[in-house]
Amino acid sequence: MENVQLTVSDFISLVNQTLEYAYPTACVVGEVSEFRVSQGKWVTFKLKDDGGVVDCFMALSMLRVQIEDGMKIMVIAVPRINTKWGKFSLTIRSIKPVGEGSIKKGFELLKSKLEAEGLFALERKRPLPRVPVRAAVITSTESAAYADFCKIINERWGGMEVEVAHTQVQGDPAPDQIIRAIKYFNSQETLADVLVIVRGGGSAEDLMTFNDELLVREIASSRIPTLVGVGHEVDHTLADMAADRRAATPTNAAEILVPDKREIIRAAKQQATSLAFQLAQSIDTYISQTGDQLDTAYRRIRERLDDTFERLGALRVAIAQVNPDTVLQRGYAMVRGDVRKGASIEVETYDTFITAEVKDVRKK
Amino acid sequence: MSEKNKSVQEKLADLSELVTWFQNPAFKLEDAVTKFKQAEVLAEEIEKDLTKIKNDIKVVKRKFDTDNE
Repeated sequence: MENVQLTVSDFISLVNQTLEYAYPTACVVGEVSEFRVSQGKWVTFKLKDDGGVVDCFMALSMLRVQIEDGMKIMVIAVPRINTKWGKFSLTIRSIKPVGEGSIKKGFELLKSKLEAEGLFALERKRPLPRVPVRAAVITSTESAAYADFCKIINERWGGMEVEVAHTQVQGDPAPDQIIRAIKYFNSQETLADVLVIVRGGGSAEDLMTFNDELLVREIASSRIPTLVGVGHEVDHTLADMAADRRAATPTNAAEILVPDKREIIRAAKQQATSLAFQLAQSIDTYISQTGDQLDTAYRRIRERLDDTFERLGALRVAIAQVNPDTVLQRGYAMVRGDVRKGASIEVETYDTFITAEVKDVRKK
Repeated sequence: MSEKNKSVQEKLADLSELVTWFQNPAFKLEDAVTKFKQAEVLAEEIEKDLTKIKNDIKVVKRKFDTDNE
């Protein structure tokens, strides 16, 4: 090569070709320093360890986790020399926090950012249908979590149409696969009533898929109400927070998704029984009201009769006062006949009839 | 009211409607027995349907590895 003269540009191109051949991509782990975002478009930082440092560069739109100085990360990158500036750098394709501390830090940074944007706000949460007719599910169909989920929904409910999209639920391709599945269900002519994303338990690194910024944003913008059940009770992911409803586990997601048919049957029977009770009560009330009305009518008739009997008694007394027998009993007599001298007359006393002759008639 | 082709959800809604009717001022003793019988039939049908009907679970054939598939 000593005798071959190259221009600077050609030399850099040659080195880049060699690098590309030797390292199409490189996976490098190090600590972030001098992290910067410029012009709202580009991200630059240095990746270092005790013995070395390398410049890193990427488009801001490709940054799917939040990082800051001091965090330990793993990058998948293409090594190359910048032709214009002559600087060696890594062009980053993806970044993953490494170690519990960095994962937690990345989680907190992204959480704060999305929270500030209102992605987790309670007022954004939509209610899930009590009894969904169509459900869309995104999960790995090879997982135990999926088997549990199906077992529980089949035990609890029937008659629901369930469409399942099989995706990876951990590893680098997982977030994009899940995003595609969300887009797929949201682009259907007839939308499902609810979109469920489930994944069983795993390490913090396994669950990092569900802290991917683009995935979290996709969940938040889903037209279909979302239910996310990832990991165990204690695991909290940003996907959970952006969902309309969080389930503690995939099993819990199944329990939230559909009601228990045994409870529904019990409630339906109870409703019918309560109507029987109400009906009996209404009949009792009706009978009681009718009885009261009859009592009132009887009481009024009785009052009128008493009143009439009372008046009749008074009339009886009055009539008795003018009865001729009563007068005769008191010693008086009644005289019948032609009252003239020599004529015969009849005299009636209380207990006798007397025939007498008129001896004299004088004016009083 | 309770035709065989109605879904469980519709039957549940019908049952709720009947319960509401019993609590409404529109309640009439003359109609109550018929409504009660309808509720009984609905409760029985809901039980039968839920015991019998299975969920229809289908896995989407499409792969989600890439945008183009």
